[in-house]
Amino acid sequence: MSTSTYKRFEDPESGSLPDKMTVYQECLQAFNASPIKAKKCRALLSRLLRLLYNGETFQKTEATNLFFSVSKLFHNADPSLRQLGYLAIKELCSISDDVLMITASIMKDIQGAEPVFKPDAIRTLSRVLDGSTIHAAERAMRNCIVDSNQAVCSAALVSTYHMLPVARDVVRRWANEAQEAISASKTLVRSPYTTHDNFGASARLPQSTYFHQYHALGLLYHLKKQDRMAMLKLIQQLTSRQSLQSSFAVLQLVRYVASMLQEDTSGQLAQQFWPLFNSWLNNKSEMVELDAAKVVLAPSSRFNQEQQLKAITTLQELLSVPRTVTRFSAVRLLSRVALADPEMVRACNSDLESLVNDPCRSISTYAITTLLKTGNAQSVDRLVKTIAGFMGDISDEFKVVVVEAVRTLTLKFPEKHSSLLVFLGDALRDEGGYNFKNSVIEAIFDIVKFVPDAREAALELFCEFIEDCEYTELAVRVLHLLGEYGPKAKKPSLYVRHIYNRVVLENSIVRSSAVIALSKFALVGDKQLTASIRILLQRCLQDVDDEVRDRTALSLRLVEGAELKSSTRARALLQPETRFSLAALEQQLCRYVRSKDKTSFSQAFDIKVVPRHTEEEILATEYKAKIAVEDDMASMSTQAKMETITSKNEAHILSTEGGRSSSKPVAASDLAARSNLLQQQYSQELSGIDEFQDYGLLLHSSGVVELTERETEFIVTAVKHVFKEHIVIQYNVENTLKDIQVEDVTVMTQLDTDDYKEETAVPAAMLKPDSSVCVYVSFSRPADHRMVLATMTNSLAYVSKDVDESTGEPASDDEGFPDEYQIEDLAITPGDFVTPCFTGSFTSSFDGLNNEEVAVYNLGRSEENPLAKVVKRLSQSMSMTPLEGSDMVDSSASHTLKLFGKSINGDKVAALVKLVSSSKGVMMKTQVRSSDSELAQMLANQWE
Amino acid sequence: MPINTSLYTVEAVVIVDNKGKRLFAKYYKAPHEDAVEDIVINKKKQLQFEKDLFGKTFKQGNNEIILFDNHAVVYNEFPDSILYVIGSLGENEVLLYNVLQGLSGALEIVLKNEVDKRSIQEFYDLVVLAIDETIDDGIVLETDSTAIAARVTNAPAEDVSNIKIDLSERGFLNAFKFAKKNLSERLQQGF
Repeated sequence: MSTSTYKRFEDPESGSLPDKMTVYQECLQAFNASPIKAKKCRALLSRLLRLLYNGETFQKTEATNLFFSVSKLFHNADPSLRQLGYLAIKELCSISDDVLMITASIMKDIQGAEPVFKPDAIRTLSRVLDGSTIHAAERAMRNCIVDSNQAVCSAALVSTYHMLPVARDVVRRWANEAQEAISASKTLVRSPYTTHDNFGASARLPQSTYFHQYHALGLLYHLKKQDRMAMLKLIQQLTSRQSLQSSFAVLQLVRYVASMLQEDTSGQLAQQFWPLFNSWLNNKSEMVELDAAKVVLAPSSRFNQEQQLKAITTLQELLSVPRTVTRFSAVRLLSRVALADPEMVRACNSDLESLVNDPCRSISTYAITTLLKTGNAQSVDRLVKTIAGFMGDISDEFKVVVVEAVRTLTLKFPEKHSSLLVFLGDALRDEGGYNFKNSVIEAIFDIVKFVPDAREAALELFCEFIEDCEYTELAVRVLHLLGEYGPKAKKPSLYVRHIYNRVVLENSIVRSSAVIALSKFALVGDKQLTASIRILLQRCLQDVDDEVRDRTALSLRLVEGAELKSSTRARALLQPETRFSLAALEQQLCRYVRSKDKTSFSQAFDIKVVPRHTEEEILATEYKAKIAVEDDMASMSTQAKMETITSKNEAHILSTEGGRSSSKPVAASDLAARSNLLQQQYSQELSGIDEFQDYGLLLHSSGVVELTERETEFIVTAVKHVFKEHIVIQYNVENTLKDIQVEDVTVMTQLDTDDYKEETAVPAAMLKPDSSVCVYVSFSRPADHRMVLATMTNSLAYVSKDVDESTGEPASDDEGFPDEYQIEDLAITPGDFVTPCFTGSFTSSFDGLNNEEVAVYNLGRSEENPLAKVVKRLSQSMSMTPLEGSDMVDSSASHTLKLFGKSINGDKVAALVKLVSSSKGVMMKTQVRSSDSELAQMLANQWE
Repeated sequence: MPINTSLYTVEAVVIVDNKGKRLFAKYYKAPHEDAVEDIVINKKKQLQFEKDLFGKTFKQGNNEIILFDNHAVVYNEFPDSILYVIGSLGENEVLLYNVLQGLSGALEIVLKNEVDKRSIQEFYDLVVLAIDETIDDGIVLETDSTAIAARVTNAPAEDVSNIKIDLSERGFLNAFKFAKKNLSERLQQGF
C-alpha cells in the first residue's frame, strides 16, 4: 500500500473506512506491546469497532487473534481503555474460538470495586459463559444483583436474563435476589472518567432512574410465569404500594397482566383487574396508557363496553398531545379498533377530523382511513364532501389511499353510489399521475361490476375519460370494460360513437382494442346497429397498423358468422359465457406435462376436465376477495402482513385493500384464483393420493373444523371434501407430545346414517413428536347425488411408542402398545354442499327463487351471542356470500343478513336472515329460497 | 394478538449519513439464541433495508416515525446524519421513541452538542459506548440521557508511560550530550 492511500485511511475527515488488514496488524502490534499505550490503543479499538459496526467481519483465526490481543489490554489499568476493550470483546466473542479463556480476567473485574467498567464486565461475561460454565459466576452475579450501584445491578439482571435460555435451572436460584432488587433502592454513580463538559449545571445526574426494576421484573416473570398463583401475588404486591417507579417496569407489568388475561379461560380475571387498568389508563407515562388501551381494546378482550369506551377516551386525549409519535400510536390503534368496531371510535370523529391536516403524513392518512371506516350510511355523504375539500392539497400517493378507502365504501354502501360516483368522477377529471388515475379506474370498475344501479352513470364517466386519456394502458382497459358492459346497457348505441372516436384519433394499441370492443356491440340484436358497426369495422380494414387490420378482419368474420345464427360458435367466441378457471387450468396442465407415465402422452390434453366458471361465480370470488381483506384485518397476523405491504409503499398505510394494492392490475380470474388457492392446494394434495385418483373434480372443501381442544396431546382438525360421488374427510393430526411417537394412525368413524358407505381409509404410517400428518377417510355418496346430512363419531387409533430423548428415535425392540383417543363428532352440514356466490341484485335473485323455507330460532342470551359473531358464524356455516355489506353489523339491537350461494348441483340459493337482540335473547328468523326445495329446507333448519 | 413479554424490544440501531451511507449499524439478537429474522445476519439485506429506509425518511418533513418493511422505526435527524431505532411492528412506538430520545440526548452530551457526521466519525468510541450503555443486545438499559452519558468514559488524555522516551530531535541531542559527557568522564578517569 502506498503512503498516500495509507494516509487517506488515517484521516477521519475523509469519512472512508479504515483498511481492514491495516487495522488488524496495528491492533496486534499495539496491544501486544509493552508497555501498553492507553490512548493509542483506545483509538485503535475505536477504529476496529468502526469496522465491525459497518458490517465487516474477520476470519475466525483473525478474530481469535484479535480477541486475545484485546485481552492483553487488561494489563493496563486505565478504566476508559478497559471499558472500550470490553465492548470489543463483546463484539468479537461470537466470531472467535476459546472465548472461555478470558473468564478469569473478567471475574477479577467483577469482584473488584471499580464502578466504571464493572457493569461492562458483567455484561461481557454473559457472552463468554454458557450453560455449563455459569456455575463459576453464580456467587459473583448474586452479589452484583444486590449491589447498591444501579448500573451494576441492572447489568447483572440483564446478563442473567440473557442466560435464561441456556441456564434456566441455575438462574432460578437467583429469584430471591431479583425479587429484592425490585423494591431495593439503587443509586447511580458518577466517576471522574465519565465527566462531560456538557452536563452543565442544569442537567444533574438523577439519584436513580429505577431502571433496575424493569430488568428485575422482566427476569422474575420468566422464572414465575408458569405459576399462576405466584404471578397473581407478584402483581398484587407491585401494584398495591406503588412500588414501581420506572414506567418501563409498569409497561412490562401491563403486558404480563395482558398475557394472563389472554390465557384466562374463565373470563373472571378481566373484571378483577379492571381497577388496575383504570389507573394505567391515566398513567403519567404515555406508553403505559397506550399499552393499557391496546389490551382493553384487543379483539378478544373481555372488558365491557363502558370500560372499552374509557380506553377510547384515553386515546382521544392522546390524539392532541404535541409528541408526533404518541399521536401516531394513538391514531394507529384507533384505526385498528375501527376495523372491528367502527361504532366505538365514532366518539373521536371530531378529533380525527382535525388530524386530517396533521403535518405528519402517516398520521393524517390513518385519520382519513379511520374516518372512512367509521362512516355509516348516514354520514357517508358528509364525509365524502370533507375529503373532496382537501383532495387538492395532497400528494398523489396519498390520494391513492383515499380513493382506495372510498372504494371500500362503495362496496359497503352500494345505495350511496351517487355521491361516491360524483367524487370519483371529479377525481378522474383532476390532474394526476398514472397510479392515482389507475386507482380511480379500479374503483369505478368495482362499481360497474358490483353495483348494477350505478352502472350506466359509471360507463358514462368512462366515455368522458377516454376522450382525453393520456395513458394508453388505462384507455385499453376502459375500452375493454365498455365492450363488456356497454352492449348490456339500455342504449348501447350511445357508447359506439365514443369508441369509434378512439379508432380515429388514437395510437395503434388503443385502436386495436377499440375494434374488439366495437365488435361486441354487433351482437346486441339490433339490426340497424349491427349494420352500422359492420360499416365502421370495414373502414378499419384500411388501418395502417397490421394488428388493427388483423383484429378487424377477425371481428368482421365473427360478426358475420354470428349473424347467420347457425353458428353459435362465433357468438361464444365473441361473448363467452363461461371462462376457464385459470388456476385449475395451470394445475391440470402441469400434471399432464409432469406425468411420469409416458403412455399418458399418447392422448391429447383434455380441456374438458378444467372447470369453467360463469361470470357470476367469478364475480362472487372477486367480491369475496375484496371484502375478505377487510374481515381478516381484525386478526393480527394478516394485519401485520398488510402493514408490511403498506409500509413498503408508504402511501398505502392502512389502505383497506392492502393485500391488493401491491398488484393492482390483476385480471379478475387471477383474483379469483388467489382466493381459490386453498381449494387448489387441497385438490392438488388429494389428487396426489392414489386412492382418490378417479374421484374426479373436487366440488367443494369445507373450512377447517376443530375436533379437539387446542391444548391436548393430539390436536385434530378436519376438512370435508365433497366430490361428485364421494366425500373425503381429511383429518389433520398434530402430535404435541415431546416423548411419544405414534405409528399406524387411523381414524375410526361411525356414521348415524346408511346413506354413506365407508370406502377406503388412508392411514399415516408414522407421526413423530412435534409434527403433524394427514389421515383420510373416504365415503361414497348416495347414488342419486342427494345431499344427505349426517353426524359421525370419530376416534383416533394408533400404536404409541416412547421416544428416547437422546436419539429422537424409539428403542428398536419397542413394539409399542395400541391405543385409542376419543375426539369430537363431525357433522356433514348443508354448508358443505354450497359454495359462496355473488349476485348484483339480491332482492331480484331472492324473489326469483320459488321454494321458500322459514325457520325461527331463539339463540339465547345476547351477551353470549353478539350479533356480529352470529353473522360471521352464519355466513361461515352456511358457506354463502354476505351481500350488500350486510356482514357489517352496525347496531347491537337488530340486523339483516343477506346471503347468496350455489349448491354443488348448480342450484341457486338465497337466504334472508333477520336478527333481533332483546332482553329475552337473540331471535333469528331465517328465510331461505332456492330452486332446490330440499336444500332450502336443510339450510333453513340448520343451527347448531 | 401476540404480546411481547420478553425484554427484547429493540431490533436494531442504525446511523447513516446524509447520503444514506452507514456510519453505525447493529442488528440485535439474543446472545444465546439464534436470530429470528434473516436481516440480523444478512448484510446485503441490511444494506438494502437501510437504503430504502433512508429514501423514505431523509428530508421528508419532520415525521419521526414510519412503519417500514414490517418494522416500526423511530428516527431523529441530525444536520447531516440520521439515527434510527428499529423495533417490531407491534412494539409500543412510544417506548421506542423514549429510547431514541435518551440515546440522542446522550450523544449530544458526549459529542458536546455537535452531533454530525464528522464528530461521529472522530469520536466513534464515545458514540459506540453511548449506544452500548443504552441498549444491550435488544434490552433497553437506560433511557435517561444524563445517566447514559455518565456511563461513557472519555478517551485517556495522553499516554502515561513509565519510561519517558523523548524522540524529538532535541531529546535525541540531549541524550547524545548526556552520553558524551558520561563517556568522556569515564575515559578521563581511565576506566
